[in-house]
Amino acid sequence: MAKQTFTTGQVLTAAQMTSLQQTAMLGGEASAKTASYTLVAADAGTAISMSNAGATTITVNTGLFAAGDTVHITNLGAGVCTITAGTATVNSSASLALAQYESGFLDFTSTSAAIFVKGAGAAPSSGGKTLLSTTTLSGASTTISGISQDYIDLQIIIDGVTNATANGNLYMKINGNNNSFYLVGQTASPPGIYDNLTQQYLNGSNSAYSRTSANNTWQVTINNYVQATNYKPISVYGQFLDSGGSDAPVIMAGSVNANAAITSILFLNTGGNFSTGTVKIYGVK
Amino acid sequence: MAKTTRPIIRIHNTEIDEVIDREMNDDEFAQYEADKAAEVAREAEAQAKATAKQAILDRLGLTADELKTILG
Repeated sequence: MAKQTFTTGQVLTAAQMTSLQQTAMLGGEASAKTASYTLVAADAGTAISMSNAGATTITVNTGLFAAGDTVHITNLGAGVCTITAGTATVNSSASLALAQYESGFLDFTSTSAAIFVKGAGAAPSSGGKTLLSTTTLSGASTTISGISQDYIDLQIIIDGVTNATANGNLYMKINGNNNSFYLVGQTASPPGIYDNLTQQYLNGSNSAYSRTSANNTWQVTINNYVQATNYKPISVYGQFLDSGGSDAPVIMAGSVNANAAITSILFLNTGGNFSTGTVKIYGVK
Repeated sequence: MAKTTRPIIRIHNTEIDEVIDREMNDDEFAQYEADKAAEVAREAEAQAKATAKQAILDRLGLTADELKTILG
């Protein structure tokens, strides 16, 4: 139950005793959330669950809690729930991000500071795939930043890319770098081996994709994306409608020529502003 | 003097799930212009290659489909 101030002679109800028992068992009065949420004072001693298919946050502000207060947080949704320091300080020896079925609790050490103690949760330590983010492509470019560093591989699904002005090529820049890849592969438009090594576009050929086709789609996998010493293996599978109206599958492989951990990815359409398109990033353990 | 309108870009910070749409800053706009220039150069190079390839095919008296048949 939320933290109470009991008074002398007060008679506890059965419901209060049941709730206190829950809290004593490191649970707490349940409070279900379905969207990003900012903690309030009444959340002290409660158990908050988050359920959302997209990424969410739990924001912690100062002046609401006392030293010794706790708030239990569980993420039930497919989207990552991140504990975010608002005006308060939040420290943790682990990640502040809760993947699906992970949980932890905030242990307040003062009115303005808390330690987030993350439990092992039910998320798989290996073999699991977690949706980290869903982004709608918009504008002249779209940058996806703050990519979680808690996984081994990234799988990126790019769907339904169209733009407003002209046929174009889809650029993908790792950490904002030009010519992010060394790639070779096979394309269907024009047919043949594609061996233009350093580059940054996912068409893999000299044929622009049709700006109106919702069938422009790619899957990009990057292995060992967190390591900061070597290049990272990358594979690209795609299908787009070329500017001549022909279906143009593409397959490429090579490396991301970055010696830094991958924290952001920029998408740019040389044909103009994005009209539609969705990028989903999955973390794989 | 009218305010210069630059292209809008989107930044999605997945750590806090914050989406910001804003005009490009100076560095981003310079890179955007460089990307456009590079794309024009790349397209010109591709067109030159295609023209050279077609010239060879014409000299040999082959169509592109016939070449595909030979190479296939």
